[in-house]
Amino acid sequence: MLSQGAAKKVTIYVNEDVHLHGDSLWDAILRFLRNKHVAGATVLRPVAGFGAHGTVHSSAGEIHAGHMPMRIEFIDTAEKVDEVLPTLYEMVIDGLVEVQDTNIVKAVARGGKQEAHLPHAEIKGPAKLIRIYLGESDKLKGEPLFEAIVKRLMMMEVAGATVYRGILGYGAKRHQHKETVFRLSKDCPIMISVVDRANRVDEIMGAVAPMMVDGLIVISDVEVHRFVHALPEQQKVTNVS
Amino acid sequence: MYLRQPARLLRLHFSERDRYDGVPLYEAIVATCRKLGIAGVTVLRGMQGYGESAELHKHRILAHDQPITAAIVESTENIDRLLPEIEKMLDTGMIAISDVEMVRVRNGDAQPETAA
Repeated sequence: MLSQGAAKKVTIYVNEDVHLHGDSLWDAILRFLRNKHVAGATVLRPVAGFGAHGTVHSSAGEIHAGHMPMRIEFIDTAEKVDEVLPTLYEMVIDGLVEVQDTNIVKAVARGGKQEAHLPHAEIKGPAKLIRIYLGESDKLKGEPLFEAIVKRLMMMEVAGATVYRGILGYGAKRHQHKETVFRLSKDCPIMISVVDRANRVDEIMGAVAPMMVDGLIVISDVEVHRFVHALPEQQKVTNVS
Repeated sequence: MYLRQPARLLRLHFSERDRYDGVPLYEAIVATCRKLGIAGVTVLRGMQGYGESAELHKHRILAHDQPITAAIVESTENIDRLLPEIEKMLDTGMIAISDVEMVRVRNGDAQPETAA
Protein backbone atom coordinates (compact mmCIF):
# COMPACT_ATOMS: atom_id res chain seq x y z
CA MET A 1 0.00 0.00 0.00
CA LEU A 2 1.44 3.33 -1.03
CA SER A 3 1.56 6.24 1.38
CA GLN A 4 1.30 9.97 0.88
CA GLY A 5 4.41 11.74 -0.39
CA ALA A 6 7.10 11.44 -3.00
CA ALA A 7 7.00 8.49 -5.38
CA LYS A 8 8.01 7.52 -8.90
CA LYS A 9 5.78 7.04 -11.90
CA VAL A 10 6.98 4.80 -14.69
CA THR A 11 5.44 4.85 -18.14
CA ILE A 12 6.31 2.26 -20.75
CA TYR A 13 5.33 2.50 -24.41
CA VAL A 14 5.39 -0.66 -26.48
CA ASN A 15 3.61 -2.01 -29.50
CA GLU A 16 0.76 -4.41 -29.07
CA ASP A 17 2.26 -6.95 -31.44
CA VAL A 18 5.70 -7.13 -29.91
CA HIS A 19 6.21 -10.53 -28.32
CA LEU A 20 8.54 -11.84 -25.68
CA HIS A 21 8.94 -15.60 -25.26
CA GLY A 22 5.64 -16.19 -27.06
CA ASP A 23 3.61 -13.69 -25.01
CA SER A 24 2.56 -10.16 -25.74
CA LEU A 25 5.22 -7.89 -24.32
CA TRP A 26 2.69 -5.76 -22.46
CA ASP A 27 1.22 -8.85 -20.87
CA ALA A 28 4.66 -10.12 -19.89
CA ILE A 29 5.50 -6.75 -18.32
CA LEU A 30 2.24 -6.67 -16.42
CA ARG A 31 2.81 -10.15 -15.02
CA PHE A 32 6.37 -9.29 -14.10
CA LEU A 33 5.19 -6.20 -12.17
CA ARG A 34 2.59 -8.25 -10.39
CA ASN A 35 5.15 -10.86 -9.36
CA LYS A 36 7.34 -8.11 -8.00
CA HIS A 37 4.40 -6.83 -5.90
CA VAL A 38 4.32 -3.42 -7.48
CA ALA A 39 1.50 -1.38 -5.88
CA GLY A 40 -0.55 -1.33 -9.09
CA ALA A 41 -0.20 -1.04 -12.85
CA THR A 42 -2.50 0.00 -15.66
CA VAL A 43 -2.32 -0.91 -19.33
CA LEU A 44 -3.92 1.60 -21.67
CA ARG A 45 -4.75 1.21 -25.32
CA PRO A 46 -4.80 4.63 -26.92
CA VAL A 47 -6.83 5.81 -29.88
CA ALA A 48 -3.86 6.53 -32.08
CA GLY A 49 -0.15 7.21 -32.00
CA PHE A 50 3.15 6.94 -33.74
CA GLY A 51 6.60 6.03 -32.58
CA ALA A 52 10.12 5.30 -33.66
CA HIS A 53 8.98 3.69 -36.87
CA GLY A 54 7.12 6.82 -38.00
CA THR A 55 3.91 4.98 -38.89
CA VAL A 56 0.63 6.29 -37.49
CA HIS A 57 -1.25 3.49 -35.75
CA SER A 58 -4.90 4.22 -35.20
CA SER A 59 -7.72 2.06 -33.93
CA ALA A 60 -9.73 2.63 -37.10
CA GLY A 61 -7.37 0.80 -39.39
CA GLU A 62 -5.67 -1.56 -37.03
CA ILE A 63 -8.27 -3.59 -35.22
CA HIS A 64 -7.20 -6.71 -36.99
CA ALA A 65 -3.57 -5.85 -37.47
CA GLY A 66 -3.07 -5.50 -33.70
CA HIS A 67 -0.26 -3.02 -34.16
CA MET A 68 -1.54 -0.42 -31.70
CA PRO A 69 0.67 1.42 -29.26
CA MET A 70 0.22 0.23 -25.65
CA ARG A 71 0.99 2.24 -22.62
CA ILE A 72 1.76 0.62 -19.25
CA GLU A 73 2.01 2.84 -16.23
CA PHE A 74 2.61 2.26 -12.57
CA ILE A 75 3.44 4.26 -9.48
CA ASP A 76 5.56 3.03 -6.60
CA THR A 77 8.30 4.07 -4.22
CA ALA A 78 11.73 5.02 -5.56
CA GLU A 79 13.25 1.83 -4.10
CA LYS A 80 10.70 -0.40 -5.78
CA VAL A 81 11.18 1.35 -9.10
CA ASP A 82 14.96 0.94 -8.81
CA GLU A 83 14.39 -2.73 -8.15
CA VAL A 84 12.27 -3.44 -11.21
CA LEU A 85 13.85 -1.01 -13.68
CA PRO A 86 16.86 -3.14 -14.73
CA THR A 87 14.59 -6.02 -15.73
CA LEU A 88 12.19 -3.69 -17.53
CA TYR A 89 15.17 -2.22 -19.37
CA GLU A 90 15.98 -5.69 -20.61
CA MET A 91 12.38 -6.65 -21.43
CA VAL A 92 11.49 -3.63 -23.54
CA ILE A 93 13.19 -4.65 -26.77
CA ASP A 94 11.15 -2.21 -28.85
CA GLY A 95 9.64 0.83 -27.18
CA LEU A 96 10.29 3.47 -24.57
CA VAL A 97 10.58 3.57 -20.78
CA GLU A 98 10.12 6.80 -18.88
CA VAL A 99 10.43 7.55 -15.15
CA GLN A 100 9.17 10.71 -13.49
CA ASP A 101 8.98 12.03 -9.97
CA THR A 102 5.49 12.31 -8.65
CA ASN A 103 3.67 13.06 -5.46
CA ILE A 104 1.01 10.83 -4.01
CA VAL A 105 -1.82 12.85 -2.55
CA LYS A 106 -4.07 10.01 -1.59
CA ALA A 107 -3.82 6.26 -1.82
CA VAL A 108 -6.60 4.21 -0.29
CA ALA A 109 -7.82 0.70 -0.84
CA ARG A 110 -11.29 -0.46 0.05
CA GLY A 111 -12.16 -4.03 0.64
CA GLY A 112 -9.65 -6.28 -1.05
CA LYS A 113 -7.52 -8.71 0.84
CA GLN A 114 -8.45 -8.90 4.50
CA GLU A 115 -5.55 -8.37 6.88
CA ALA A 116 -5.20 -10.93 9.59
CA HIS A 117 -7.32 -9.84 12.52
CA LEU A 118 -4.93 -8.66 15.18
CA PRO A 119 -6.04 -8.20 18.76
CA HIS A 120 -7.05 -4.68 19.72
CA ALA A 121 -4.06 -2.56 20.39
CA GLU A 122 -4.09 0.23 22.90
CA ILE A 123 -2.02 3.33 22.41
CA LYS A 124 -1.45 5.30 25.56
CA GLY A 125 0.39 8.51 26.06
CA PRO A 126 0.21 12.23 26.51
CA ALA A 127 -1.35 14.20 23.68
CA LYS A 128 -2.99 17.55 23.08
CA LEU A 129 -6.65 18.34 22.75
CA ILE A 130 -7.39 21.38 20.64
CA ARG A 131 -10.82 22.95 20.76
CA ILE A 132 -11.71 25.41 18.04
CA TYR A 133 -14.67 27.70 18.60
CA LEU A 134 -16.40 29.39 15.70
CA GLY A 135 -19.84 30.26 14.35
CA GLU A 136 -21.89 28.04 12.11
CA SER A 137 -22.44 30.85 9.64
CA ASP A 138 -18.72 31.57 9.27
CA LYS A 139 -17.67 30.92 5.72
CA LEU A 140 -14.46 30.45 3.82
CA LYS A 141 -14.76 31.05 0.09
CA GLY A 142 -18.46 30.23 0.24
CA GLU A 143 -18.00 26.97 2.12
CA PRO A 144 -18.95 26.55 5.77
CA LEU A 145 -15.80 27.23 7.77
CA PHE A 146 -16.13 24.17 9.97
CA GLU A 147 -16.28 21.95 6.91
CA ALA A 148 -13.28 23.65 5.40
CA ILE A 149 -11.34 23.18 8.64
CA VAL A 150 -12.22 19.49 8.92
CA LYS A 151 -11.25 18.89 5.29
CA ARG A 152 -7.95 20.65 5.87
CA LEU A 153 -7.28 18.57 8.98
CA MET A 154 -8.08 15.40 7.06
CA MET A 155 -5.63 16.34 4.34
CA MET A 156 -2.99 16.94 6.99
CA GLU A 157 -3.72 13.43 8.26
CA VAL A 158 -4.51 14.74 11.68
CA ALA A 159 -5.56 11.84 13.88
CA GLY A 160 -9.19 12.90 14.20
CA ALA A 161 -11.64 15.76 14.56
CA THR A 162 -15.21 16.02 15.80
CA VAL A 163 -17.59 18.90 15.14
CA TYR A 164 -20.08 19.83 17.83
CA ARG A 165 -23.00 22.12 17.24
CA GLY A 166 -23.93 24.23 20.22
CA ILE A 167 -27.41 25.40 21.02
CA LEU A 168 -26.64 28.75 22.57
CA GLY A 169 -23.67 30.98 23.12
CA TYR A 170 -21.87 34.19 22.47
CA GLY A 171 -18.28 35.10 21.84
CA ALA A 172 -16.01 37.59 20.21
CA LYS A 173 -18.67 39.28 18.16
CA ARG A 174 -20.93 39.71 21.17
CA HIS A 175 -23.99 38.53 19.31
CA GLN A 176 -25.94 35.64 20.57
CA HIS A 177 -26.07 32.41 18.60
CA LYS A 178 -29.30 30.70 19.35
CA GLU A 179 -31.13 27.66 18.21
CA THR A 180 -34.71 28.18 17.07
CA VAL A 181 -37.68 26.15 18.21
CA PHE A 182 -37.47 23.73 15.32
CA ARG A 183 -33.74 23.21 15.73
CA LEU A 184 -33.05 24.53 12.29
CA SER A 185 -31.15 27.69 13.10
CA LYS A 186 -28.17 28.29 10.86
CA ASP A 187 -26.14 30.36 13.26
CA CYS A 188 -25.32 28.16 16.19
CA PRO A 189 -21.96 28.04 17.89
CA ILE A 190 -19.64 25.33 16.58
CA MET A 191 -16.87 23.60 18.46
CA ILE A 192 -14.36 21.37 16.71
CA SER A 193 -12.28 19.14 18.90
CA VAL A 194 -9.03 17.69 17.60
CA VAL A 195 -6.68 15.29 19.33
CA ASP A 196 -3.14 14.74 18.14
CA ARG A 197 0.46 14.53 19.26
CA ALA A 198 1.92 17.54 21.07
CA ASN A 199 4.48 18.12 18.33
CA ARG A 200 1.73 18.65 15.75
CA VAL A 201 -0.03 21.47 17.59
CA ASP A 202 1.94 24.26 15.96
CA GLU A 203 1.40 22.78 12.52
CA ILE A 204 -2.34 22.46 13.15
CA MET A 205 -2.58 25.97 14.54
CA GLY A 206 -0.63 27.34 11.60
CA ALA A 207 -3.13 25.77 9.22
CA VAL A 208 -6.36 26.50 11.06
CA ALA A 209 -5.82 29.96 12.52
CA PRO A 210 -5.35 31.75 9.17
CA MET A 211 -8.63 30.25 7.94
CA MET A 212 -10.58 31.80 10.77
CA VAL A 213 -11.71 35.38 10.92
CA ASP A 214 -12.57 35.59 14.56
CA GLY A 215 -12.58 32.85 17.06
CA LEU A 216 -10.94 31.03 19.84
CA ILE A 217 -8.62 28.07 20.00
CA VAL A 218 -8.02 26.31 23.28
CA ILE A 219 -5.28 23.76 23.83
CA SER A 220 -5.14 21.38 26.75
CA ASP A 221 -3.06 18.41 27.81
CA VAL A 222 -4.78 15.07 27.63
CA GLU A 223 -3.91 11.48 28.11
CA VAL A 224 -4.76 9.31 25.13
CA HIS A 225 -6.04 5.79 25.41
CA ARG A 226 -6.70 4.76 21.90
CA PHE A 227 -8.09 1.43 20.91
CA VAL A 228 -7.43 0.39 17.37
CA HIS A 229 -8.00 -2.57 15.16
CA ALA A 230 -5.14 -4.31 13.38
CA LEU A 231 -2.59 -1.58 13.47
CA PRO A 232 -0.25 -1.36 10.46
CA GLU A 233 3.26 -2.39 11.50
CA GLN A 234 5.07 0.86 10.80
CA GLN A 235 2.65 2.97 12.82
CA LYS A 236 2.88 0.90 15.93
CA VAL A 237 5.94 2.59 17.30
CA THR A 238 5.48 6.25 16.64
CA ASN A 239 1.82 7.02 16.99
CA VAL A 240 1.87 8.96 20.19
CA SER A 241 4.97 10.77 21.33
CA MET B 1 3.22 32.74 15.40
CA TYR B 2 0.04 32.70 17.43
CA LEU B 3 0.48 33.72 21.02
CA ARG B 4 -0.61 31.07 23.44
CA GLN B 5 -1.70 32.37 26.79
CA PRO B 6 -2.65 30.42 29.88
CA ALA B 7 -6.35 30.35 30.68
CA ARG B 8 -8.93 28.21 32.38
CA LEU B 9 -11.69 26.17 30.88
CA LEU B 10 -14.81 25.90 32.96
CA ARG B 11 -17.31 23.21 32.03
CA LEU B 12 -20.74 22.94 33.55
CA HIS B 13 -22.74 19.77 33.18
CA PHE B 14 -26.47 19.75 33.80
CA SER B 15 -29.77 18.84 32.21
CA GLU B 16 -31.73 20.59 29.53
CA ARG B 17 -34.70 20.39 31.86
CA ASP B 18 -33.06 22.42 34.62
CA ARG B 19 -34.59 25.85 35.04
CA TYR B 20 -33.58 28.97 36.90
CA ASP B 21 -35.87 31.90 37.50
CA GLY B 22 -38.41 30.62 35.03
CA VAL B 23 -36.02 30.24 32.10
CA PRO B 24 -33.90 27.27 31.02
CA LEU B 25 -30.76 27.14 33.14
CA TYR B 26 -28.47 27.34 30.14
CA GLU B 27 -30.10 30.58 29.04
CA ALA B 28 -29.77 31.97 32.56
CA ILE B 29 -26.09 31.01 32.63
CA VAL B 30 -25.42 32.71 29.30
CA ALA B 31 -27.18 35.82 30.60
CA THR B 32 -25.10 35.80 33.78
CA CYS B 33 -21.89 35.43 31.80
CA ARG B 34 -22.87 38.39 29.69
CA LYS B 35 -23.72 40.46 32.75
CA LEU B 36 -20.33 39.72 34.30
CA GLY B 37 -18.52 40.56 31.06
CA ILE B 38 -17.25 37.04 30.43
CA ALA B 39 -15.61 36.82 27.00
CA GLY B 40 -17.74 33.98 25.69
CA VAL B 41 -19.71 30.87 26.42
CA THR B 42 -20.78 27.91 24.31
CA VAL B 43 -23.66 25.63 25.23
CA LEU B 44 -23.55 22.13 23.76
CA ARG B 45 -26.31 19.57 23.86
CA GLY B 46 -25.34 15.96 24.31
CA MET B 47 -27.14 13.01 22.80
CA GLN B 48 -27.59 11.02 25.93
CA GLY B 49 -26.15 10.75 29.40
CA TYR B 50 -26.71 10.24 33.06
CA GLY B 51 -25.51 11.91 36.19
CA GLU B 52 -26.24 12.34 39.84
CA SER B 53 -29.76 10.97 39.84
CA ALA B 54 -28.72 8.01 37.68
CA GLU B 55 -31.68 8.85 35.51
CA LEU B 56 -31.07 8.62 31.81
CA HIS B 57 -31.27 11.97 30.08
CA LYS B 58 -32.35 11.63 26.51
CA HIS B 59 -34.50 13.24 23.91
CA ARG B 60 -38.15 12.52 24.19
CA ILE B 61 -40.67 13.93 21.81
CA LEU B 62 -42.26 16.25 24.31
CA ALA B 63 -39.84 16.48 27.21
CA HIS B 64 -36.51 17.94 26.21
CA ASP B 65 -34.16 16.31 28.66
CA GLN B 66 -30.79 15.93 27.06
CA PRO B 67 -27.49 16.56 28.83
CA ILE B 68 -26.13 20.08 28.47
CA THR B 69 -22.52 21.24 28.69
CA ALA B 70 -21.68 24.92 28.94
CA ALA B 71 -18.04 25.76 28.25
CA ILE B 72 -16.37 29.00 29.21
CA VAL B 73 -12.76 29.94 28.49
CA GLU B 74 -11.48 32.84 30.55
CA SER B 75 -8.65 34.12 32.71
CA THR B 76 -8.31 32.72 36.23
CA GLU B 77 -9.59 35.99 37.76
CA ASN B 78 -12.72 36.05 35.64
CA ILE B 79 -13.43 32.37 36.30
CA ASP B 80 -13.05 33.02 40.04
CA ARG B 81 -15.46 35.94 39.72
CA LEU B 82 -17.99 33.84 37.82
CA LEU B 83 -17.85 30.67 39.91
CA PRO B 84 -19.77 31.87 42.99
CA GLU B 85 -22.59 33.15 40.76
CA ILE B 86 -22.78 29.85 38.89
CA GLU B 87 -22.70 27.82 42.08
CA LYS B 88 -25.79 29.70 43.24
CA MET B 89 -27.65 28.83 40.06
CA LEU B 90 -26.65 25.20 39.67
CA ASP B 91 -28.94 23.01 41.71
CA THR B 92 -27.63 19.63 40.68
CA GLY B 93 -24.90 19.14 38.19
CA MET B 94 -21.18 19.24 37.91
CA ILE B 95 -18.51 21.88 37.45
CA ALA B 96 -15.14 20.94 35.97
CA ILE B 97 -12.23 23.34 35.70
CA SER B 98 -9.06 22.68 33.73
CA ASP B 99 -5.96 24.63 32.85
CA VAL B 100 -5.61 25.26 29.15
CA GLU B 101 -3.68 27.31 26.69
CA MET B 102 -5.74 29.82 24.75
CA VAL B 103 -5.22 31.41 21.35
CA ARG B 104 -7.41 34.30 20.34
CA VAL B 105 -7.71 34.41 16.57
CA ARG B 106 -8.33 37.89 15.31
CA ASN B 107 -7.76 38.00 11.60
CA GLY B 108 -10.21 40.88 11.64
CA ASP B 109 -11.34 42.41 8.39
CA ALA B 110 -8.51 40.88 6.40
CA GLN B 111 -11.04 38.48 4.90
CA PRO B 112 -14.25 40.14 3.83
CA GLU B 113 -16.26 36.92 3.82
CA THR B 114 -17.31 36.92 7.43
CA ALA B 115 -20.57 36.20 9.09
CA ALA B 116 -22.68 39.28 9.55
